[in-house]
Amino acid sequence: MSAPILWIAIPFIMGVFILFFLRERFSALIGGVTAGILALAALVFPIDTALLLGLISLKIAPSIQFFGRSFELNTADGPLLAIVYGLSALWFLGTEASGTSNRFASLGLMIIALLTASIAVEPFLYAALLLEMAAMLAIPLLVPPYQKPGRGAVRFLIYQTLAMPFILFSGWMLAGVEASPGDLSTTTQAGTMLGLGFAFLLAVFPLYNWIPMLMEESSPYVTGFLLWALPTFTVIFALGFLDRYAWLRTSSQLSNAIQFAGVLMVASGGIFASLQRHIGRILGYAAIAETGLLILVMGLRSSEIVTITFLTLIPRGLELTIWALALSIIKRKAYSLRFNELQGLARSYPVAVAALILAHLSMTGFPLLAGFPPRLAIWQALAGQSLVTSFWVFFGMLGLLVAAIRTLAVFVMANEDKKWSVNESWVQVTMLGLGVIGLFILGIFPQALHPLLANLPSLFEHLVP
Amino acid sequence: MLILISCLLLFVTALTLIVLRVVQPNARYTWLVAVGGAMLALVSVFIWLAQTPFDFVLPAWQPVTLFASPILFRADGISWPFAFGITALTLSMLLTTVTRPVFVNSFAWVGTLALGGLGVLAVTANNPLTLLLVWAALDITELLTQLGSVDGSANNEKVVISFSMRASGIGVLLWATIVSIAEGSAFDFQSMSAASGLYLVVAAGLRLGVLPLHLPYSSESILRRGFGTVLRLISAASSLILLGRIPAGGLNSLATPFLLMLATMAAIYGGWMWLRAPDELIGRPYWIISLASLSVIASLSGNPLGAVAWGCALLLVGGGLFLASVQHVWLNRIMLLGAWSLSSLPFSLTASAWLGSLGFFIPFVIIAQALVIAGFIRHALRPAGRDTLDAQPGWTRTVYPSGIILLITLQFLLGWIGWDGAYQVGAWLQAVIASLLTFGLVWATPRFRILNPIRAHWVTASTTSRLNDMVEGLGSLYRVLERISQAITVTLEGEGGIMWTLLFLVLFVSLLAQGTP
Repeated sequence: MSAPILWIAIPFIMGVFILFFLRERFSALIGGVTAGILALAALVFPIDTALLLGLISLKIAPSIQFFGRSFELNTADGPLLAIVYGLSALWFLGTEASGTSNRFASLGLMIIALLTASIAVEPFLYAALLLEMAAMLAIPLLVPPYQKPGRGAVRFLIYQTLAMPFILFSGWMLAGVEASPGDLSTTTQAGTMLGLGFAFLLAVFPLYNWIPMLMEESSPYVTGFLLWALPTFTVIFALGFLDRYAWLRTSSQLSNAIQFAGVLMVASGGIFASLQRHIGRILGYAAIAETGLLILVMGLRSSEIVTITFLTLIPRGLELTIWALALSIIKRKAYSLRFNELQGLARSYPVAVAALILAHLSMTGFPLLAGFPPRLAIWQALAGQSLVTSFWVFFGMLGLLVAAIRTLAVFVMANEDKKWSVNESWVQVTMLGLGVIGLFILGIFPQALHPLLANLPSLFEHLVP
Repeated sequence: MLILISCLLLFVTALTLIVLRVVQPNARYTWLVAVGGAMLALVSVFIWLAQTPFDFVLPAWQPVTLFASPILFRADGISWPFAFGITALTLSMLLTTVTRPVFVNSFAWVGTLALGGLGVLAVTANNPLTLLLVWAALDITELLTQLGSVDGSANNEKVVISFSMRASGIGVLLWATIVSIAEGSAFDFQSMSAASGLYLVVAAGLRLGVLPLHLPYSSESILRRGFGTVLRLISAASSLILLGRIPAGGLNSLATPFLLMLATMAAIYGGWMWLRAPDELIGRPYWIISLASLSVIASLSGNPLGAVAWGCALLLVGGGLFLASVQHVWLNRIMLLGAWSLSSLPFSLTASAWLGSLGFFIPFVIIAQALVIAGFIRHALRPAGRDTLDAQPGWTRTVYPSGIILLITLQFLLGWIGWDGAYQVGAWLQAVIASLLTFGLVWATPRFRILNPIRAHWVTASTTSRLNDMVEGLGSLYRVLERISQAITVTLEGEGGIMWTLLFLVLFVSLLAQGTP
């Protein structure tokens, strides 16, 4: 057994199996359990290390050849796989509670398998193709059968597709840069190409307008899943670039450009979120601000880039899951998710509203919640470098806080005669309750993540001194 | 560990009440459980004195390279009087609740005990990280408790405004620490830079809980007096502790005289409104504004212990007055001892209040202090017309006064042993002048119309209209910004959106490319 078969081929095949052969009511459960087992396997079985189970010696080989390309997952990838599949399990198990189409678990599993392949493939430039394939698989999720795709879905596909040629071209040019590092014009061209590729992939300002559009026209749960999965793997892909090319790591211009792009996303995401009247769009802008934070971290001149990135990525997954799930539950009651249709809903859906607000507050970096420790780490690192940049990040987070308070104000705007009642199902209450407990645990004891984070820096050995 | 024990006593009691409410909703001993827990907590905090100063440190956040500061609580001369005051207030609220018309195991008791526990944690927090976490816990608890106990969209809106004000206080404290780190200081109160010291004052001000001016309870609500008092005073105390933590040199900046002027104006305004308030509950926000301003003035004058003294006065003197709900001649007279605690006369609770250098501001501060004391005397000698204890069962006639007397006794106790530097003569001349002025004001109040209390509906109307104007102004600004945002959104998400986006992208790339050699 090899690691790529276990964590790429099996989930992909399971996805296909669930899609074509399984009855709808079991698909979410099987998808969630599969992802959970894969996460557990990543935690328990070290890759490329012999494990003695009684009389049987078990060793998971790290690589496999496929059509002349190599897929490789090493020992250091174990915690990463555990995080990715663990969070995926949460998403898939929440499918029924969210009332999302049952294709979600199967296609979602395939998307995660492709994205995992993108961090395992060698030569690593092929990751761009795998990311594009994952984006294309997302389209059936975003567009209900027999319906015309919305403008947001089309734009999402256009931008993700535009990213691919830019990345592939930059890879071709980077080979030239490595051969003649003194050639400044090639270096600048390669850097620009690469920057544009990642700008499309990560939806950097002003390329992010498909996100709020998609939040308005598609299922919030599915869009939330994509907003979690795609940037997560793209960031890991980008860290791989920084790790491989010394000139990218050491270029102060590039570092400044990355920081500028990140700050622009955080500030604009926060400001636009505070001015919205649609809670789905607010989630979209919050996700944009959060991606901006990840980009900003990549531009930090710090030896802790990798640790801070993963410290941010894990709570992000949890926050988006809870937020998107709560939004889906609310959407079944109030169709459009506009403020005027949500007034007083806290009294009839208290658990969903509380979970939504807490997830939102967590994204603003409210203390006690999961988002606070990573933001604190970012501010500590950033404050030492630039107070102006820190201010704009702070301003963006303030915008998100304003949006959270406006949302709360709308939800509690109930008439005097409206009584409290819990209308969520027990599955929904359980899922949201566990998620909220997770938010508090990660906010008060972020050291709970330390066993997962401790070995992750070895994935990018040049980024860590 | 003692800190944890005291807090756990309060939290476990609160949890027990919740369980009892579910399992035995008609149990008659729940009040005894609540009072027992609060009493044990008070005794346990008193025992701290035997060991102070001592720390309680939680396991450090990992990785240590990112989080250098642990979650640290400290019992010392600054935190102990506040912690003692908070537990006493909690107990006092439960003791005085026996006269309330509805006397059952309620969420107000649970909320009071939980707020008491969180308040103790807040005042013992010894670095910004710990304080941020405890403030957040306090805010979430308050938000949930208040949303669960109020009705109507207007009242719910007040709850959200109150939460947003406190959350902005958290934001300012966070910004203060960012500024401090940017200037090379560590992430603790002791080494905070002068620039961040001013932000700390602003953070404490925002979190005092005076905005919105009135709690979201109707004037008839029993929650307004008991739970409302605990809510207001513990919130204020958990903010004022910050002033006691600012190091002596932490406020030396060009803006200090300006802030001193603002705080003095706020103290005089608060004192004036407090003196003329129709009753003590309507005047409660002004009591907090004036006492908190005096605390800020003490802190800005380089006397953190003075800030602690005013904070304790706010908690204990105010607590006694606001919790007293029945007409009792002797109790009203005993409450007048609170005027001594506010006078800053030798050996009183606030004797160490004016040891800093106030300079030009001394006369104005004396006026503010006199207004506050005169207002207190007027409200303590409340007019007849309230319920009396005569109709109450025998045991309540003993229990109820003990709740008030407890707070009065503690005012004297803290004045003598509250902190290093208590039990002293202090700035006696200033205190004597303030006292004389107070007597003058008390004499003049019934004789001059301008000093007479204003009608309740006038207070409400004027403050509401001013707040409405402010909200209206903010709303207009917000709508303008919303229209601009809408225009950008429509452009980028419309038919020609992709072309606009690509155009912007080219612009950005060309701008960034100018930076490259």
